[in-house]
Amino acid sequence: MRMVSPAPSAAGPLFVESAAATGLKFTHNNGATGLYYLAEEMGAGVALFDYDNDGDLDVFLVQGGPLEAGNTSKTRVTSRLFRNDLKIGADGSRALRFTDVTEQAGVGWTAYGMGAAVGDYDNDGDLDLFLTSFGPEALFRNNGNGTFTDVTAEAGVSDPLWSTSASFLDYDRDGDLDLFVANYVDFSLADNKTCADPVGARDYCSPRVYRPVPDRLYRNEGNGRFTNVTEASGIVKADGAGLGVTAGDYNGDGWLDLYVANDATPNQLWINRHDGTFVDDGPLSGAALNAAGNPEGSMGIASGDADGDGDEDLFVTNLVGETFVLYENDGKGSFEDARVRWGLAQPTAAFTGFGTDWIDYDNDGWLDLFIANGAVNIVEALRGQPNPFRMKNQLFHNTGKGRFEETSAQGGPAFANAEVGRGAAFGDLDNDGDIDIVVTNNGGPVRLMLNQASGGHHWMQIRLAQDGGNRFALGARIGVERAGRTLWRRVRTDGSYLSASDVRVHVGLGASAAIEGVQVQWPDGQRELFTGIEADRTVTLRRGTGRAIPPEK
Amino acid sequence: MLVLVLLLTLSAQEGPPLPALALDAFPPAARDSVARAQRDVTARPSDAAAVGAFGRALQAWEQWESAHQAYSRAQALAPRTFDWQYLDAVVLQRLMRPTDAAARLKTAVSLNSAYLPARVRLAEALLDAGDLTASRPMFEALSKEAVAEPAAQVGLGKIAALQGDHERAIVHFKRAIELFPELGAAYYSLARSYRATGRRADAEQALAQHARFGATWPRLDDPVLSAVTELRDDGRALLARGLASAKTGEIEAAIALHEQALVRDPSLTQVHANLLSLYGQLKNSPKAEEHYHAAVQKGVNSADLHYDYGVVLASQEKWDAAAEAYRRAIAVNPLHVRARNNLGQLLERQGQIENAAAEYRKAADAQPSFKLAGFNLGRMLLVLKRPDEAAAEFEKLLEPRDADTPRYLFALSTAYVHAGRIAEGIKRATEARQLAVDLGQTELAAAIDRELARLK
Repeated sequence: MRMVSPAPSAAGPLFVESAAATGLKFTHNNGATGLYYLAEEMGAGVALFDYDNDGDLDVFLVQGGPLEAGNTSKTRVTSRLFRNDLKIGADGSRALRFTDVTEQAGVGWTAYGMGAAVGDYDNDGDLDLFLTSFGPEALFRNNGNGTFTDVTAEAGVSDPLWSTSASFLDYDRDGDLDLFVANYVDFSLADNKTCADPVGARDYCSPRVYRPVPDRLYRNEGNGRFTNVTEASGIVKADGAGLGVTAGDYNGDGWLDLYVANDATPNQLWINRHDGTFVDDGPLSGAALNAAGNPEGSMGIASGDADGDGDEDLFVTNLVGETFVLYENDGKGSFEDARVRWGLAQPTAAFTGFGTDWIDYDNDGWLDLFIANGAVNIVEALRGQPNPFRMKNQLFHNTGKGRFEETSAQGGPAFANAEVGRGAAFGDLDNDGDIDIVVTNNGGPVRLMLNQASGGHHWMQIRLAQDGGNRFALGARIGVERAGRTLWRRVRTDGSYLSASDVRVHVGLGASAAIEGVQVQWPDGQRELFTGIEADRTVTLRRGTGRAIPPEK
Repeated sequence: MLVLVLLLTLSAQEGPPLPALALDAFPPAARDSVARAQRDVTARPSDAAAVGAFGRALQAWEQWESAHQAYSRAQALAPRTFDWQYLDAVVLQRLMRPTDAAARLKTAVSLNSAYLPARVRLAEALLDAGDLTASRPMFEALSKEAVAEPAAQVGLGKIAALQGDHERAIVHFKRAIELFPELGAAYYSLARSYRATGRRADAEQALAQHARFGATWPRLDDPVLSAVTELRDDGRALLARGLASAKTGEIEAAIALHEQALVRDPSLTQVHANLLSLYGQLKNSPKAEEHYHAAVQKGVNSADLHYDYGVVLASQEKWDAAAEAYRRAIAVNPLHVRARNNLGQLLERQGQIENAAAEYRKAADAQPSFKLAGFNLGRMLLVLKRPDEAAAEFEKLLEPRDADTPRYLFALSTAYVHAGRIAEGIKRATEARQLAVDLGQTELAAAIDRELARLK
């Protein structure tokens, strides 16, 4: 199928909110009772993945529910799976429709959920689902027939700590996907502390009043079981109230590292030492703290090559009054706090941000930025109003000249409506060649923001496939070679906040459809060049069908 | 024409509107305080002093956006009043709007160039806004004034670092630290510049100092801002001041402020919890116990409260009662590692080594970075004649290195020796000795020397 992404009308909004209209009907239940339990305000996430392998993205929405003791599973609401029943007409018209298939798929999870991670842990060619919660986690194996089986106990990937975001990655290059789980703090309902806002009104506590609990790293043994290697890998050696996590090669040595966004505690940059262990280079790297040396709110993460120099830069969302930070990578794992220079400080100062990602929403070849915002403490201007935590989401356009410009005003009504944004996942839900966004709202309805912005620009979408382990090649690096510059992207589902995004890599190509070749650095470091690829379509690049490239010296 | 001029004049006199507040949603203390200022300003909306006072009341209660609105109007009404420009700039800095703050500070400095905090803030705001060219001469001028020099040196260092001149940056950061050895931010910036110049060991050392001092910053007297802070004398403000005093080690002053806070607002249960700890530090057990019971009576059931009470009881050698308090803390929060560790110590006193080891293990598992629990677990395993397991526990404590690392290395050496791994024991003891010497831990170094002599 070949199609140039549709040009928007001159006055049309960049995104159109279409959740209810497409059957994606879901409202998050935060279980708030007036007791200001910290867990109430943190959830929840969303996963976009093609669970039934029919070529379009399905949506899993994580649910909360009542927190108070005494509530049984019968009274609990459950997380929901929506199947995408996209129909494309002969004329290219699209009818996007979602059907709730939770019960038939067997994923009616009743825990007080937080987030979701997606990866093919059992190497059977379909994507499995890992869920975090205020309590034990769950792993649902995709049976490949539209159903899932809860394999948490046999996989050995659950503990009682409050978990948030998670990432599937093959850190030891043994061909199967390991699992990193970010854990938050030692809050419990029994030990709920009483906190107040500046005028003395009851408000949610800062996580600083609780103690961080250690994250977890599980090594996949390749037999359906994981081994907890948190201690052996060195991950226990630094604490942090983990909220976001992403895997990337931050020091340019070809191995996957981990970046963890920690709430009010220094972020961690776990550098892979190639021997199964990691060392935290966060503070020295410059990506752990702000320029003054202080930790910030640090909720969501976007990891990608924002400046087009071939390495992965990090964007981290923070609390109101802190501004959100762009850590610009020098290619060797040293980062500069570049939020002011890139024009991202002042426009984000009045917001508390959560889900985020670099998305080339207009397909011009430069990574733009979306941020889901929502407060965690009463917004001054909303005092006395219902739900005084509402904030507007934000959109920034990458000019390609080292600056971002806020384009939220052109985003349409979806950006004018203030809600309590939390999770955000990204992917082309209607398969029309641009990136759409699903945003979750704490205690509110899910939003589906369909992209109308791509302006007639060319694009391509790449799905990698390899035999044996890690079939979707999570962690692989893709370089789309074009006249002038190579666009580097990574195959990932992690990042953002509590959420999992499309495993396909979307690349905006701008005005020219010309592609010289696509270079793939597979997760084990081997490289291959694919040529003869045409733009404006989704392609699957299968390992071994390209031309091998000798290792870099 | 005359009418138009008159309208423009009136408009300029009126300035931006006053902020709209939902005062009904404020708790009583804040509502009363802000309402007083609001009544004044409602009666005299064109009186800059009344409008500015309203801004100050809002700023005192951290209502930043509203305070900024009020100050904006005060500036329009009295453009040559230093306070409204300066305080608005402080608020704008808090709102992370450095460009706007710099504009106000430029005006403020033009009105009162002798006011040092305004000059320091202007240089910092310009730096935060990315205007290195304008901020550098200001920091250079400030570096000639003794009280402002540490901040100025940090600013000059940051500018040099941003311009890629890390060697020059290092000179500035080191000078700042020389002037104010607890300047945490300078250590962090110094670490970054050391790394940029390839001096990783120096960088790590600077980073350790940053971890030690955190956000400590040299104090600069700022009477204009202090007058705003002092507007508040409600229970929460007194509690905050009490906590600040406690942080700087002024325990008696902290207690006095907490007691005042309680008089002002008896519903502040946190005050009881803090007083329990503060009186405990002064070994005033009756007062400590009084506040523990008061907190419990008011419905507080936090793990920290029970833990602090346990510490007070243990200091009175009421071992059983202390153990019970720690158990209550653990019941509320099973991940309370300090309560588990202290309970382990009490069990150890009673000779319940296996039970003590179990508590230490739970603490170490819950928070591996809490090395004391791992160390205690290793000690118990030695007592239980399981030296290989003890060695495994001590090995976990060696990274990241800190002031306790020589002690952990020495303990590891002992475990090796008990396990019959004499050569490894000597190696680790030698390493421990060297590190103890490097860190100035002479007594420990001497003890290790004696052990080494015995082993050899």
